[in-house]
Amino acid sequence: MKKSTQALTLATAFVAPPVLAQTVDQKLQILQQEIDDLKTQTRKSVPPAQQVWPYSPEYGLMLDRSSGLASGSTNIAGYGEARYSKFRQSGDATADLQRFVFGFNHRFDEGLTLHSEVEIEHAVVSSEDAGEAEIEQAWVNYRMSDAVNFKGGLFLIPIGILNETHEPPTYYGVQRNQVETRVIPTTWRELGVGTHGVFGEGFRYDVGVTTNFDSGKLDDPTTGIRSAHQEGQLANARDLAVYGALNYRRPGLLAGGGVFAGNTGQNGASNPALQGVAARFTMWDLHAQYRVAGLDLQALYAAGTLGDADKVTAALVAADPATALAAPKSMKGAYVQAAYHVYKQGNLDVAPFVRVERIDIKQQEDPANGLLQDPNNNERIKVAGVNVWVHPQVVLKADIQRYATDKTQDRFNLGLGFMF
Amino acid sequence: MIRAAFRSLAVLILALVAAVAARGEVYQEPGAFVAEVFGSTPAPKVLWLTKEIQAQAAEILGHPPAQLRQRYWSEGGKSVWILEETGKEELITAGFVVVDGRIDHARVLVYRESRGQEVRQSSFLKQFRDAKLSQGNRLDRGIDGIVGATLSVRAMERMARLALFFDRVSHG
Repeated sequence: MKKSTQALTLATAFVAPPVLAQTVDQKLQILQQEIDDLKTQTRKSVPPAQQVWPYSPEYGLMLDRSSGLASGSTNIAGYGEARYSKFRQSGDATADLQRFVFGFNHRFDEGLTLHSEVEIEHAVVSSEDAGEAEIEQAWVNYRMSDAVNFKGGLFLIPIGILNETHEPPTYYGVQRNQVETRVIPTTWRELGVGTHGVFGEGFRYDVGVTTNFDSGKLDDPTTGIRSAHQEGQLANARDLAVYGALNYRRPGLLAGGGVFAGNTGQNGASNPALQGVAARFTMWDLHAQYRVAGLDLQALYAAGTLGDADKVTAALVAADPATALAAPKSMKGAYVQAAYHVYKQGNLDVAPFVRVERIDIKQQEDPANGLLQDPNNNERIKVAGVNVWVHPQVVLKADIQRYATDKTQDRFNLGLGFMF
Repeated sequence: MIRAAFRSLAVLILALVAAVAARGEVYQEPGAFVAEVFGSTPAPKVLWLTKEIQAQAAEILGHPPAQLRQRYWSEGGKSVWILEETGKEELITAGFVVVDGRIDHARVLVYRESRGQEVRQSSFLKQFRDAKLSQGNRLDRGIDGIVGATLSVRAMERMARLALFFDRVSHG
């Protein structure tokens, strides 16, 4: 009886009417459905913390991804650059892995993310080498909406163009421009809290409160306020600063500016002679970038002042006359740049460029102690070169730099840059 | 001075929070996008990525495609592709509508990063309108970038190329 039932079943299967037969397409649909069901079950079993938001199972299913949404809550990004420089006057040449930067980014949940960058400069870091290892960014962002984000930690100050966007494939020239190095101290970061977001069609605002420079730490007369930076390293934080920036972006166009202000005396924490001295530092900038028909145009103007510069100079003398310098009292800089994409085929993109830079840093002289204005702080630099992108994220660069004042800096540069 | 600054900042933050409705990163659910394009939601179809298709998709993306089957929707010569690609740090989800081998329109559906949201602006997305594939599976036009959103712009460009490529192979 049992055998005959099985035989009947088999026979029925083979002689089933055509309406019950399944085409390959139908079978595939069934298989697809089964896979979808399995995926749904798998997704539901993955803890939300390990998934990329939005993490509803149905959402991922719609995209037909098996693993993309359920992995990568932490990712790695980075950039780096190497250069060769041949100096015109001395004939000397140097080659340097200028920086290698890597960062971890982590999503805690749908609103909370961590952003970080660790930078190693000049390849080797030890007490006997020139290299430095530093945290360039480490901040947590809480996103309420596109228009309202809150952030806290060590983050970049939104002044200028390069300070926030400085990956080598994103700018022209082997070296970063000097205005956004000596006047705006790129890569300029502070510890603090802020809010930022986008509104309208293309506007972005940034405002916040951060640590500030400590003018008692000034030790380089050629870079404006730069050498007084604290970079989140046991920063003296009696005096804080406020910043604000507004930028307008649309395809091919950026226009905006920013301002940063606060006292830098730090009540004499690093130099007792600055007790009660405000040494107020203010910096602002305006910048624009425009791209049309293969032509890239960029311009920036930045200006800053340091109040009580005479007292800062006196305090530096009081601390150590041998290493003292004339503190900067004002710093200005501007550049204009033009590039043209002469050849673009596939990933290959060739763009020669020219840039003219002007720097004017005025120091508070103290002739009695031999502290005078450094003539190299009034500089005009011409740069001509070419960027060759072999991939959107990998660039080869070559340029020639001519300095009007400090001719020892005239050089020919070759560079390689990348970002990932 | 600093106290006043703090006060101003707090007022500004409160004003912003109050002024802005809680608008999340999901600008449009993929299902809603498909329904909007077709008026209703047609049954999804599946493009099986053969080795040859995978190879070309990898060339467009710069990495192997994330899946071997790509779901899409099509009706009356119009197809919709919902794709994902990493910008700087996180996946961007975008929808592309292709008609007769050209992009009819594109939309960013989900943007997860804290910077670069400008890629969802119409001024950026309209650059893709009518774009088609040229030699080497590249777009027949240049897409102007957005300062500070370089990698997100590149990701959108790659997805646009992939949508056009998938549309082409889906027609056999």
